[in-house]
Amino acid sequence: MQANEQKLKRTLSEVFGVPEESINDETSKDTVEAWDSLKHLNLVLAIEEQFDVSLSEEQSLEIMSFPLIKAVLGEHGVQFS
Amino acid sequence: MLSPTLQKLLSSQPGDRSYAQYSSAANELAKLTPEETGRPPLRVAVVRNFTAETLLPVVAGEVFLAGFHPVLWVGDYDSINAEVMNPASALYTFKPDFVVMLQWLETISPALTTRFVSSPEALVTSEVERVRQQTRDICQAIRKHTKAPVLFNNFPLPTETTLGILDGQSAAFQTHTTIALNQGLMNDAKGTGSVYVLDFMRLFAAHGSMQCIDERNWQMARAPLAGKALLPIGREVGKFVRALKGKAKKCLVLDCDNTLWGGIIGEDGMAGIQLGHTHPGSSFLAFHEEILNLHDRGVILAICSKNNLADVLEVFKSHPDTLLREKHFAAMQVNWDDKVTNLKRLAEELNIGIDSFVFVDDSEFETQLVREQLPEVEVLQMPKSAAGFRAELTRRGLFDTLTLSTEDRRRNEMYVETRQRKELETSATSLEDFLAKLELEVDIGPPNELEIPRVAQLTQKTNQFNLTTRRYTEGDIRAFIASGKADVLALKVRDRIAEMGLVGVAIVTYDDSAVAEIDSFLLSCRVIGRGVEDALLSELINKTVNAKGSRKVVAKYVPTAKNAQVKDFYTGHQFKVIAESPEGKTWEHAVGPTAVPAPSWIKIKDGRADASK
Repeated sequence: MQANEQKLKRTLSEVFGVPEESINDETSKDTVEAWDSLKHLNLVLAIEEQFDVSLSEEQSLEIMSFPLIKAVLGEHGVQFS
Repeated sequence: MLSPTLQKLLSSQPGDRSYAQYSSAANELAKLTPEETGRPPLRVAVVRNFTAETLLPVVAGEVFLAGFHPVLWVGDYDSINAEVMNPASALYTFKPDFVVMLQWLETISPALTTRFVSSPEALVTSEVERVRQQTRDICQAIRKHTKAPVLFNNFPLPTETTLGILDGQSAAFQTHTTIALNQGLMNDAKGTGSVYVLDFMRLFAAHGSMQCIDERNWQMARAPLAGKALLPIGREVGKFVRALKGKAKKCLVLDCDNTLWGGIIGEDGMAGIQLGHTHPGSSFLAFHEEILNLHDRGVILAICSKNNLADVLEVFKSHPDTLLREKHFAAMQVNWDDKVTNLKRLAEELNIGIDSFVFVDDSEFETQLVREQLPEVEVLQMPKSAAGFRAELTRRGLFDTLTLSTEDRRRNEMYVETRQRKELETSATSLEDFLAKLELEVDIGPPNELEIPRVAQLTQKTNQFNLTTRRYTEGDIRAFIASGKADVLALKVRDRIAEMGLVGVAIVTYDDSAVAEIDSFLLSCRVIGRGVEDALLSELINKTVNAKGSRKVVAKYVPTAKNAQVKDFYTGHQFKVIAESPEGKTWEHAVGPTAVPAPSWIKIKDGRADASK
């Protein structure tokens, strides 16, 4: 579970080019400069690849912050502590 | 020093790389300069009619993996025409080295896709023509304003058709119309210089159209390429970069035991090794076939094996099912020395750069050792199961080129002939005697239309005997010839043993000051050391440049990691040094009918030799 949290942090860090340590529950579209609508597409694809899930349209629109991504992944059975 | 992210990308196996990893690498690369990555920049422009931003990280990563520093630019959404037609557009001010044009058929022609069933036959025909015409116009416009090669995609076959199962019953329906359109596009590409097809039809078929098309992102963001499609497409773009920028590999070096056959010949004996028409030997036979395919494409084959030479030769000679024979191999190092030493010996024997080697072995010990000691060698670790060998060798496209010349098809025979020449050399009493016995004959003149691809290919592939290492496309060569301000000379060589074909190129440019400049001067390494380079220089200066009325010729040497052997080439011909810097050296020489003498033992065809004697 801790591992999933780390993996998600790493994924966000990879997509947005920011340090892994800077990702926390405050991280959202509003706090990360690189997180625009085009990078959001990259994020959706990277999350689907890394967690082997397929997000619905609503879910892919919903995941606008670190806690929301965790919540959506939770719906796919990915557990976070 | 590269960051851990970039180092990891370089050392990872292609199958293990993830989209997230490419994204991370691309983010880092965007912040670095070519000096920091230690790679020459490659500027890639993408024009598109759909949202293709998701593909960019993979393209950036692949350009980096091909040995370049990626600089990417992407045009505005669905504005291909505006960008390619206007010579002052951002596309051209970007000065691309490479243009990728991406189109999605649904956007261009609903009549050929989503509304196919309702399109009358005449409309289908005119739509196919329209899409072709539009694509041709775009390619020609790009060709007019930049010399950069163009790569454009054809169209994947429909996943669902508007006619259902009826669609498969007629060539006039959707699937076969798409195929016909793609064939048309391919023919159009061939007719325009340096334009190539990015084969979405095959890629999507190989990876599964259903998995490659993301209907959700198509509807939400007009981004049809699914995550599963991005890596294969990006890798394919990387193959084109390698092929066009002189990075294609040339020599396949193979281990023997558990690579070319199952088991160990020294222990299991001829009857005990696995190689044949039934499993498990059939996997190795399939591997032999694939190796022969590469051989027939002009890839040089070599053996590097810890074995007794006699045992290995016996397999190639007498095994009932082997497809590979001794004659297929240009060189062999079969002994008990370490493989790093043997790979170096092979490079020396074949006279090609060790970075053009692909080394194949089943042993992790050997592949690790070579990776560490010779990082410039591409290492292929064969998978656990021999059934996977064939695909492992082909899918990376390491040897891919965009031409297949007669020289390529004959390359391995030429190496065998080189061996025969060496035997002649040992029988000769002196070097002069040997050269005279060779009966060398050269033919020097402007390339004809059919020879232009080979001329371009030589500029892209020649590393060692290459004074300036300028890489040119076929389009560039044609532009030189058409400009009236340059001469291109092709050198063809034959001797008593064989025809060596088109093996040398010289390009000279003229300005208005009666001073000519040798832009390029290069020779395939197979023919060095027999004086044909002297014959080419002599013809170039005494005939070609002299005929243009130039009084002086300027020549340059631009050092690279590979071409140290030619650094004194011009000095050796009594050229006078006029400038020298770390970036290179410049000489000058007078022009006249006897300015540069030609070697006496070479016959220059078309009676052009006599004046220089």
